[in-house]
Order: sequence, then structure tokens, then C-alpha cells
Amino acid sequence: MRNISKMKTKPKTPTLKKRKKSSSVSGQKKEKKSVSEKENRTEEQSRLKRQVSNLGKNCNHLRETVNHQADELKTKNGQIKEWADKEKLAEEQIRIRTKAMDSTTDGIFIIDAQKRDFPIIYSNHSFQVMTGYAKKDILGQNYFLLYAAAADPRIAEEIKNTLQQNRSFHGEMLNFRKNGEKFWNYMRITPVRDTSGVVTHYIGIQTDVTLMRQRDFEIKEQREELLHVTRVGKLAEFVSSLAHEISQPLTAILSYAQAAQRILAGPPSRLAERELQLQEILQYIVNDDQRASEVIRRLRSLLKKSDPEFAPIDMNALINETVVLMTTDITVRNKVIKTELYTKLPFINGDRIQLQQVLLNLINNSLDAMEANDESREIVIRTFQKDPKEIIVEVKDSGCGIPQQNIKKVFNHFFTTKPDGLGMGLSISCSIIEAHGGQLEAENNSDGGATLYFTIPVIRGKSKGTKGPS
Amino acid sequence: MTSSKPVIYVVDDDVSVGRALSLLLKAHDFNVEIFKCATDFLAFKHPKTSSCLILDLRLPYMNGLVLQETMASQGLTIPIIFISGHGNIPMSVKAMKGGAVDFLPKPFTDKDLLNAIDRAIAKDKIINKDLAEKENIWRRIKTLSPRELEVFRLVCSGMLSKQIAFKRGTALQTIKVHRSRVMQKMQAKTVTALIHFAQKAGLISSK
Repeated sequence: MRNISKMKTKPKTPTLKKRKKSSSVSGQKKEKKSVSEKENRTEEQSRLKRQVSNLGKNCNHLRETVNHQADELKTKNGQIKEWADKEKLAEEQIRIRTKAMDSTTDGIFIIDAQKRDFPIIYSNHSFQVMTGYAKKDILGQNYFLLYAAAADPRIAEEIKNTLQQNRSFHGEMLNFRKNGEKFWNYMRITPVRDTSGVVTHYIGIQTDVTLMRQRDFEIKEQREELLHVTRVGKLAEFVSSLAHEISQPLTAILSYAQAAQRILAGPPSRLAERELQLQEILQYIVNDDQRASEVIRRLRSLLKKSDPEFAPIDMNALINETVVLMTTDITVRNKVIKTELYTKLPFINGDRIQLQQVLLNLINNSLDAMEANDESREIVIRTFQKDPKEIIVEVKDSGCGIPQQNIKKVFNHFFTTKPDGLGMGLSISCSIIEAHGGQLEAENNSDGGATLYFTIPVIRGKSKGTKGPS
Repeated sequence: MTSSKPVIYVVDDDVSVGRALSLLLKAHDFNVEIFKCATDFLAFKHPKTSSCLILDLRLPYMNGLVLQETMASQGLTIPIIFISGHGNIPMSVKAMKGGAVDFLPKPFTDKDLLNAIDRAIAKDKIINKDLAEKENIWRRIKTLSPRELEVFRLVCSGMLSKQIAFKRGTALQTIKVHRSRVMQKMQAKTVTALIHFAQKAGLISSK
């Protein structure tokens, strides 16, 4: 704009020149008037001359400026064009990338890490489909507030910690869609840093692995079923083949012996021959007896079990480990485990695997007891001490409880009320605890459900406090 | 049918059991034949003596129940006593339904075994007597002319001579002649005896 106004001044110069000429003409006519007038005129003339030369200079300067600015404009125009091209290219790239992000079946979202509440600022189409929320519900929301709140609190906590420590996270968890439908989410969260290394965003990618999980689960279930069938089948088969193997020599021995009796009862003729025959029969009896003994010896070596390996054990740590092992199972069955662990629990002496087996049995038992009822959800595992010589571990459920007439029988072999139970879990647990010098007991809670608890003596002389999250 | 000592066949893959049973049964004056598998037993040329089979349920290649079926399909009517070290109820039911005389779980006493053998031999004698009688009747039936055989059938179905004559369109006298020849050839003194023969031979059903 400034250039244009300057350009407008250019045509003014000719009019000035004209005016100068006309004034000089009038001056010549009045030459005779006076010297002072002459002087005045010369002065005027020189002034005008100066002005003209100045104007010329100005004009040249202006022309230069204009040219210069035109050049500048040209380059700028070129630059703008270049930028526009670049921008177009970038736009194209963004478009393709967005398209890519929208066409994947993985849910993708971006979290603004510089805002305190970590809002989601982008989500792709699949994320909306997977979660069941519309774009407007998602954008600006905190990821956890949005829908992961109902997920396993342990994992949610882990993700939160990860984000706060600017680390990346990946793991599987159970989530819920807007309509309450469950789905298994394989989630990866990675921080994005700017050039100075500050985390500005988090990119989350989540895959719906429900089907995969289900297949895994089905396979696992089938395998377990198979295992159960083979276990029961094996037992029957084993007993049957054992019976057969022992009955063969017994049959032979009995027949030999009774043949010998018959021979002895017969007429006493050809005594020498009879004696030989009886000796032969006796040898057969000895042989078959050895055969039967061999079967029994083999059976014994088969049943000989290795001695448990006793070592100092932190029961709280073992409980935490076991709870982690059970997490998936518990989540799938829509139950919750709480632990109330006495932080100053002393160590005990025990076989780690056997004790874990007991804990698994008790937890599974509680889960089964609560299976039918969706309202009873909570299992509480508690450790405490009444007597400084022993620790008490308690598994309390809010399930169906134990009918009073059964409370003494639950630890018997083969006692079960479950349609597919073997009736071995609690009886095995009971013998394990007894082998540890403790006792396993069951009682019904006054407010419903049952509590199974066991005691184990503490290691004498040691009383080390342990850390236990409660 | 020679009335010599009965033959006891034993099929058991366990050598010692076979030997022990052989010793025991020989001490009780039986002839004994031991086989280690079902095919050996089937391949054996069975003499026409009264006999029975002591058969182990579990055998290599062909188990006892399959042998029982095979024998039935081959018309081998030797009574069977099953012995088994691990017999279950369904198997023993199947064995008994297939006509077994007894099912003895191992180990068994000589008393139980000898009892079963006695019953089996008695059954075998009845079977053999029946077979012999049937054979005898059929030998007589084969001497009948086609016309006599037809009259035989019609008499046994309960028709009177005049009904037969009417049905055949022949003179009553002719039918009476045929009928008396049938009685003569079949060695039947009464019509009741004749009908009994027809039943035994399987010409008419017994009901």
C-alpha cells in the first residue's frame, strides 16, 4: 500500500514544470519594473531549479524503491507458492496418515500430557467402535474417567503410575464398552517427547483380544476338562490293570494249590511220580507268588512320593503371588479379592508349592461357593496372629456357606457337593497343613458365607517383620 | 457221540494260569486242551465229545466276547465259562446274554470252577442231544415225497384230512393214504408226535 501511494506522486512532476514555465514568461514581461524585483525573480528561479532537481532525485529514488519492492514481492510470491505447495503436501500426508489410523482395527488415541487431567485429544474411528463412545464423549475426557474405571483397579493403578513416571505401558485388561459389554483390551501406551525431551503427549493403541482370549480360554478349559477326565480315567484304568496283574498269579496259585490237594487226595499209587508232580506244582506256586510280589513292589515305587522341601516362607508374599496368579480367573468370574495382611507376620517353615496349592484350593473353593450369587463378590484373605507361636491365614467368602451337617465332613476324602468335584481339594489341603504342623478349619460366618482358616507354627527364635501391602 | 471223558478247552494268554488250570482239571479227570489265543482255538478241530470252554475275557488280538460271537456265527455250540481278572458289569452282562454258562472273576476256587463245568457239560449234553434229535428228524423228512411233505405241513398246521382234500381238490381217500405214509415215514404214532417233530425240525414255530 505504501508503495502505491508513492507511485501516485510520480505524475505530479510535469504540472510543477508547467507552472515554472508560465511564471518565467510573466517575469520577462515585467523585466523593467525594478532590480529588487529582478533579484527576487532570480532567487525564485534558483529555488525552483533546486526543487526540480530535488524532484528528479526523488523520482529516481522512488523508481528504485518500487523496483526493489516489486522484486521483493516477486520472491515473496514465489515463497508463498512454495509454502502452499509444501502445505498441500503436508496436508496430503496428514490425510493419508489419518486414513491409515482410521482404517486399522486397533483403537488409537492421543492424550495431552501437559494438561493435569490428561485429556484425550484425538481418537480414531476404531477406538470409538471398540469403546462404544461417540467422538464428542471421548475428546477432552480423561481416559480413566471415560470408561476404564470399571477395569481391574490393579492394572488401572499400574497405567496411572506409568503415565506419571513418563514410561510406556503394555498389558492386557478387562474393559467395558459403553453398553456394559466386557472386552479384553491389549493396551500399549507410549510417551511422545518434544525436542527437549519433555513428554508432551501419550499415544495409546488398544486391540480387542476378546476373541483370542475366548479361544485361549476354551482351549484351556478343554485341556483342564481333559486333564480331569484323564485323571479320573487314569485312576480307574490303573486300579483295573493292577487288579488284573495281581489276579493272574493269584488265580494260578490257587489252581496249582487246589490241583495239588486233589492229587494228594487221590489214590496213593505211583508215589514217586506223584511226589515229582507235587514238587513241580510247588515251584510254580513260588514263581507266581514272586510275580505278584513284583507287581506290588512296582506299585510301591510308583506311589513313593518325594519329601516336601521345607524353607522359611513369608506367607504375605506368598499370598500376594497367589492372588496375582488368580487375578484373571477372578476378574472373569466377576469377583474381587481383598487382602488384609498383618505387616509384622513372622516367617514360617514350609513347602512353598504345597502351601500355594492350599491357598489356590481355598480361593477356588470360595469362588465356587459364590458362583451362583452375583451379589456376593468379595473374598478377603487375612493374616494375623493370636498366639505368637503361630500365624493364622484366613480366607473368608460371602458365598453359600457350609450346611451345618457337612461342616465336619468337608475335609474327608471324596466328600464333595460340586457336580464335577472329586472331593480331594480340601482333604489334600488338610493333610498339607497338618504336615506343616498346623490345622485347617472351616466355619460359617454370622453374616453369610464361610471362612476357612489355617494355622502354621512360626519359626522358633526368628520373628522378622515383613512388608505387606494391605 | 462217544461217551469218553469230556474235553475242557482253556483259552488264556497267561501261560501260568493255563498250566495251573490244566493241572487242576487233569487231576479231576478231564481231558484238557490249552490255547493261548482265540484264533488257535478256532483253528482246532473239535472232536464230537461233550466239552466246554473256559475263556479269558481279555485276550490278545480277539477278546473273549468277540470269540463268543464268532463261535455263534459259525455254529460252534460249545458252552462257555468266562473268567476275568478285571471284568466289569457291562461285559459280564454281554457275556451272559450271549449264552455264557457262568462268569468267574479271577481268582476263583476249584469248587466254583467245577460247578460251572458241570453245568456247562450238562448244557452241552442237552445241546448235543437236541442237535442229534433234529438231525434224526431231518433225515426222516428227507425221505418224504413233495406231495407227502405238503400234507405233512398242512396236517401240522391243524387242518383235517377233508379240509386238505378240499383245498387240494383231490379225493379224501388219496389224502388219507398220503397221511398214513407220512406217519409211517416219520415214525410218529400220533398226530401230536408228528407236530412235535415238525416243531423240533423248525418247520413250524412252537407257538
